[in-house]
Amino acid sequence: MTSRILVVDDDTALAEMIGIVLRTEGFDTVFCADGAQAVDVWRAERPDLILLDLMLPGMDGIEICTRVRAESGVPIIMLTARTDTADVVRGLESGADDYIVKPFNPKELVARIRTRLRPATKAPADILRIGDLTVDVAAHEVRRGDTSIALTPLEFELLVALAAKPQQVFSREMLLEQVWGYHYKADTRLVNVHVQRLRAKVEPDPDNPRIVTTVRGVGYRAGAAV
Amino acid sequence: MPTRPDATTAAVTTVVDWRDWRSWPESFTGLWRRSLRFRTILITLALTMLAILIAGVVMALVIQNDLFESRKDQVLEDSLRAATTAQSTLDAADLQGDPLKAQVLMTTVAGDAARQSTSDGFAVYRIGGASSAIATQDIVSAGFDVSLLSEGLRDRVRATPDSQWWQSVALPTEDGVTPGIVVGQQILMPDVGAFELYFAYDLTAADQTLLFVQRTLWTVGLALLVLVGGIAWFVVRSVAQPVSLAADTSARLASGDLKVRLQVHGEDELATLGRSFNAMADSIESQIAELADLSLVQQRFVSDVSHELRTPLTTIRLASDMINDRREEFDPATARAAELLHAQVQRFETLLTDLLEISRYDAGSVQLELEPTSLAHLAEDVIESMRQLAEQHGTDVRLVAPGAYSPVEMDPRRIRRIVRNLLGNAIEHGEGRPIVVTVDSNQQAVALGVRDYGLGMTPEDAERVFDRFWRADPSRKRTIGGTGLGLSIALGDARLHGGTLGVWSELGRGTNFVLTLPRHGQSVEGVSPVPLVPDTPSSHDDLGHTQPIDLPFQGAI
Repeated sequence: MTSRILVVDDDTALAEMIGIVLRTEGFDTVFCADGAQAVDVWRAERPDLILLDLMLPGMDGIEICTRVRAESGVPIIMLTARTDTADVVRGLESGADDYIVKPFNPKELVARIRTRLRPATKAPADILRIGDLTVDVAAHEVRRGDTSIALTPLEFELLVALAAKPQQVFSREMLLEQVWGYHYKADTRLVNVHVQRLRAKVEPDPDNPRIVTTVRGVGYRAGAAV
Repeated sequence: MPTRPDATTAAVTTVVDWRDWRSWPESFTGLWRRSLRFRTILITLALTMLAILIAGVVMALVIQNDLFESRKDQVLEDSLRAATTAQSTLDAADLQGDPLKAQVLMTTVAGDAARQSTSDGFAVYRIGGASSAIATQDIVSAGFDVSLLSEGLRDRVRATPDSQWWQSVALPTEDGVTPGIVVGQQILMPDVGAFELYFAYDLTAADQTLLFVQRTLWTVGLALLVLVGGIAWFVVRSVAQPVSLAADTSARLASGDLKVRLQVHGEDELATLGRSFNAMADSIESQIAELADLSLVQQRFVSDVSHELRTPLTTIRLASDMINDRREEFDPATARAAELLHAQVQRFETLLTDLLEISRYDAGSVQLELEPTSLAHLAEDVIESMRQLAEQHGTDVRLVAPGAYSPVEMDPRRIRRIVRNLLGNAIEHGEGRPIVVTVDSNQQAVALGVRDYGLGMTPEDAERVFDRFWRADPSRKRTIGGTGLGLSIALGDARLHGGTLGVWSELGRGTNFVLTLPRHGQSVEGVSPVPLVPDTPSSHDDLGHTQPIDLPFQGAI
């Protein structure tokens, strides 16, 4: 099955070029050049992944990201020309799973897309326990008691990665490699922001995390199963 | 900021212990030199004191003289009148040659005269020997003594029958002496002969008046001095306070607080000073704002251009990569063109990234992301990542790390970039000779040195290595293809960490770059853990401490 990718970018040359690269790699592409229509196009086309430029006419990428996230956990990769802390963090906080800085090369782009589209992590068991949560890997579901908690695929993967090895402390670099597929030193802010987003959903008290605990100076680990 | 009295300022700045009298002259000269107010008040007081002293002395003298003269005139007049009355009484008397009568008469006349003259004592002496048969005894009142009279006075009185003579004397009283005046003249008793008549006047009253006047004078003088001092202090304060306020305000302006202004009241010179100062401050502020705006506009422009270029560059990059991937399908010329396109697009991209980084420094918008990092391990990582490049140049990179293993707060991404840059330069310019990377630490800082044994640079060149787009030797073949911004960015990164990046270079001896980073909360003022200037004159002595090194071309130079 070919994956369908929505490219939201107002620069038609770049969008077309990205389209050429993606089609060469066997992806199906849909385009949208206007920020204001991006959410509608996404609803109509239901793509498997969104490539989203941050600076768009009509509606900016961050707003689009927030709206899409309100309805779906579809993987979103931002395209940005600015690597300044504030911009990137704002994009990630609004729900983007990853970001690529312009200019990028085709291999990098395809690698990022494939990581986000690949099947979920192989887990040692079908059911994992982390804190008072039950993670059903096969059903892609997280429950507290009888209540189901909706997570994006990335958040789910992050939680599974931690829960699969409850004894291990994961450094940010390890999580970047395992969840985001980076094999070189990448931006650890990705981890920080997504751990925060995950905590906001799964922690009863996000200020006093029990599920995803911080190990100062090292990284994160899963909270003990109750 | 409220203005403090200058004395306080001086005391604060010089830390004077007022109990130590030996420090007084020093602190006095210090005050004299520093405080306008102190100097002005002191000068005013000194001059006022002098003026009051002169005026007081002159006035005292004049009053004293006047008092004495008028008292003397009165005394002379009184005694003359008394003497005249006495003479007329004597003239009218008929003694009939009775010595007893003469004696009685003389006593009566003298007593009357004494009363009339309001004197405090009198004496009558017979002149000459026995010019007459009737001899009267000398009459001397209480409190009068012949020793009061000088021979000169008596001679004159005896010699001139019709003149009054006077003399200042010290009159004996119960408690010591008082100033007095003695007036003498002749009176003539018919048939008996001439007598000396003396009146003594006590000048105590006049003296007391004089004393009172003098005391008043000095009291008033002293009060005046205090008053003038106070007035001077007040006046100087009213002038000096705005001046010192202006000085404080100027200092604040100079230290960068461009918003400060002086409050202007009235139309006087101080108001003019205030207005001029404010006008100057306005002008400075607006010019600085203009410059800042200008530089902000320029920085924004550079930043915007860099960002705007990124989108088309991405398209070009994607296209060139695709074309380059398929260059096997092209004819050789097109294939080479595709290769060149690909390489140059990458170079262009690096340049753009560096340019953007520089624009961030210029805009001051760089934020460090600090995390505890071991500099030794970081250096190891970077050397490992550049091993391939080093091998291509036949260069052996050695790490000497006696210290700096424990983590120190730094932005590892930036420090890694600095080390990569320094190492890249060393490999490029190291002429294939070994490169020594030294990492060490002390209590204040951690440091990393990258030493190559290549051609080195002249001191003039070494000074310019951190300049943007500067190249040591434009004619030299570039193998790594830096942007010319690398060292400039490295220096910016080092400074952001509060650290330093130093360079030492000598023609024929190679180049040494030393990056020094302070430990958290410290400064790098001390000696860097890694020396910048190699202390051995031989160029290869400090090449690693662990193994002998085989240097190619050593004899050829």
